[in-house]
Amino acid sequence: MTAYSKDVIAELIEGKLPWHDTRRIMSAYKDDDRFDKAIAALQDRVKWKEPILLPVSSHLFIADTANGRVTRCECGHEFGHWKKNWKLSAVVLVRDSEERLAEIYPTSDLPDPAWMELREFICPSCGHLHEVEACAPGYPVVHDFEPDLEGFYEDWLGRRLPPEPEPAA
Amino acid sequence: MSIHEPIKVDMPLRDRLLASEQLMEETGCYDGITELRLRKQDPLKYETLHTKLRATCVSAREMARRISASPGVREVGEMVVAIYTPEGDAVALSNGIMVHVHTMSRFIKWMIKNGYEQNPGINDGDIFANNDAFIGTVQVPDVMDVMPIYWEGELVGWAGAVCHELESGGITPGGDVCLAQERFTEGLFVCAEKIGSNDEIRRDYVIRCERNLRMPIYWVLDEQAKVASCIEMREGVKNIIREVGIDYWKRVMKEFIEEGRRGQLARARQLTVPGIYRGHTFYGHVTEGKQGFQPLGPMDWLYNIPLELTITRDGKMKLDYEGTQPWGYHSMNCTPAGMDGGMFVTLTQHMNFEGLVNDGAWMATELNLPHGTWTNPDNEMVATATSWALLLPSYGVFQRLLSRSFIARGFVEEAFVGQVNSPMIEMGGTSQYGTPFGMAHFECAAAGSGALAIKDGLDTAYVGWNPESDMGNIEIWEQNMPMVYIGRSILPDSGGAGKYRGGCSFISTWLINKTDHLRLVTSEHSSRVFDNAGMCGGYPAPTCQKHRAVREPNLAERIEARQPLPHGIGHDGRELELLEGEHVLVEGPYIEKPHKAGDIFTHSYNGGGGFGDVLERDPVKTAEDVENGFLTQAAARSVYGIVVAEGEEGRWHADLTATEALRRERRAERLARARPVAEWMAEQSARTAARDFAPEVCAMYREAMKLSPKFRADFIAFWNLPADFEMETAP
Repeated sequence: MTAYSKDVIAELIEGKLPWHDTRRIMSAYKDDDRFDKAIAALQDRVKWKEPILLPVSSHLFIADTANGRVTRCECGHEFGHWKKNWKLSAVVLVRDSEERLAEIYPTSDLPDPAWMELREFICPSCGHLHEVEACAPGYPVVHDFEPDLEGFYEDWLGRRLPPEPEPAA
Repeated sequence: MSIHEPIKVDMPLRDRLLASEQLMEETGCYDGITELRLRKQDPLKYETLHTKLRATCVSAREMARRISASPGVREVGEMVVAIYTPEGDAVALSNGIMVHVHTMSRFIKWMIKNGYEQNPGINDGDIFANNDAFIGTVQVPDVMDVMPIYWEGELVGWAGAVCHELESGGITPGGDVCLAQERFTEGLFVCAEKIGSNDEIRRDYVIRCERNLRMPIYWVLDEQAKVASCIEMREGVKNIIREVGIDYWKRVMKEFIEEGRRGQLARARQLTVPGIYRGHTFYGHVTEGKQGFQPLGPMDWLYNIPLELTITRDGKMKLDYEGTQPWGYHSMNCTPAGMDGGMFVTLTQHMNFEGLVNDGAWMATELNLPHGTWTNPDNEMVATATSWALLLPSYGVFQRLLSRSFIARGFVEEAFVGQVNSPMIEMGGTSQYGTPFGMAHFECAAAGSGALAIKDGLDTAYVGWNPESDMGNIEIWEQNMPMVYIGRSILPDSGGAGKYRGGCSFISTWLINKTDHLRLVTSEHSSRVFDNAGMCGGYPAPTCQKHRAVREPNLAERIEARQPLPHGIGHDGRELELLEGEHVLVEGPYIEKPHKAGDIFTHSYNGGGGFGDVLERDPVKTAEDVENGFLTQAAARSVYGIVVAEGEEGRWHADLTATEALRRERRAERLARARPVAEWMAEQSARTAARDFAPEVCAMYREAMKLSPKFRADFIAFWNLPADFEMETAP
């Protein structure tokens, strides 16, 4: 069975593994314990100890904290209950003018801001840019991912999903 | 016999197909194969046989490419071949344009269900062809040939081959007929037609091709190539049957497919996380004022393409296009066959990179294509000539949704921001040899890919429809079209920005040569909106760039005076200004008066979306990118907050201290400019209630709401609008 050390997986996630090793991992049979190694590597990376249940983006995680089961930024900022769309608790920078679009596309032809805008969803604590939506003005904000956490843990990983912590009063 | 009495006809193949579908329905397994008996009995024999079948397909395709005259097939590999069960399910396939493995399956099933056993009859040595997307292909230039495989008088399989033709005889030259607004201007249709028997293509069919195409040599020789590959596969299958016996063959091909189905479900459970994933993209088409477009519908329009992926606990993937736009009087509609094909080719790249790749994978998925939308038109007269324009962006969304599931599971190396449109250019008129000609230029088959979650995307090396992407050699295109390259270069800043940038695309600059009549036509041109996206903080790649041309430039004069010539548009988009002449800047599809020798034309392709926050990009890598022409110094500073400078001998380096300071500033600036989403939403809710949008945006919402009560309900709920809200155009 294919398996890699936690350090190798950590380097892979950081994009720091040498290319020939990365290439070998891409071509090989997949490692069955990847999820646990990846979670362990991410848990080492974040500056907090509360357990990560699932990454939902490169710097966003579902974690069990004193405030319940929440979506949490790598910096520790919490975006509320994991079932809610985290974007609605973020701060947003909207590029809806040629001037603002040109900051990102300084040498290219630009889209028409009457037809399209960029919405940058940012962590209000650390300023990390978590997600960019490119859409028509007026388009509802997308809830990117609603994981079936219970199905994943119980059916696929074959282990009990830890009980959801009650938020501290 | 009464005329009301149903005629009883003996159609064993149709009965078999219906029985097979019934068995799948009843058992949940392909053709009722609930046990992989042969695999269990002798796995080595079983695996060896599959490898032989696959080798037969790969070898047949390579042989056929040498018969073809078309640079599309010879140079860039626009061909795929496959072997099917008698019921038309793919058992094994070659590499190449794998999108068509499943569209051919639809074609075979269509013939069976439409009584072809009776009329026109299915016999050993027959050749059937099709390029009708409502029967089973993606677009008119994708012409497929299938031949039955017989063993001792019994039909025991099919061999099939598809080539993308460079010319299909439509209203504009080439195959992606941009001007087609209905089926009737798309070109030569072959609708599930018997075009040959006894292994020979009919002469009258060839005559029809010769008299209806601008460049029949490509289509006709591709037919020869496809028939040769089908015969090669047929004989290969017969050899296998001689080796293993007919009973083994009949059972093993079904087991291969059932194993493929199970493999897909298992891989979903291994690589992803169950749940609901959502995303969207858009496409803007601008034709107002352009010559040739009939006023059959809106001239400028905006399409939304929302996509919801549900991965169930048993590993099944369900894709839902609910809320997208209706079909229209343009060439970009798609059929369920095309949508299936898009799904199939995407899965082969992301999940079916090992094991048995066949129609089984497709059986483990489910597509909801709402009737009346561009994904499933309720009118079979619509044009589908450039359906890739919407197919590619929509399956780019699928790739991003899948990628989020890979990231959640820890398989970051598989996450990929996805495919993009790569606008094709097509030409026609008088060739450099003085003959009529028409053809698609296929260097578009090498766009920039989306970024990965661990590295930059591929530069000028990827398109979604053919994992074996290739732009072809310049000299080959110059031999076939009346133009010479004066530049083909990386287009800087064309990859979407991010910690890992999207792959860059390229720009070609041509000098029209030895012709007084050259039509240049482009399609797939979303210039007003992004038809791609970034992921996890990455930005979309730029929109489709405008066309820049110079008519009657003073090129000869400059050459005579030994002055510098333009080789592209330059970093500032102004390099062509070196020339005097009539400068042309065109947005959207290029449908202009013909060009002639001496004119200059530029055409850019698209890059891929970025991944991750730009402020995390490696400054050293960025300096290398500036040095190598993938990024400009301006973008490094403005987008990434990275300070780079040119040192000795043209080597660029990053100033790490200045970069750190600039990035601190950028982060603070970001937070200062951003607003709480709730505050922004309150403002936008009022704007939505007032319908304060461009007319095309209002029209898009109106159409989506009309077709989808769910979209309407979600929209009204999100913006807290009254239940009777209608999106009529703002006064």
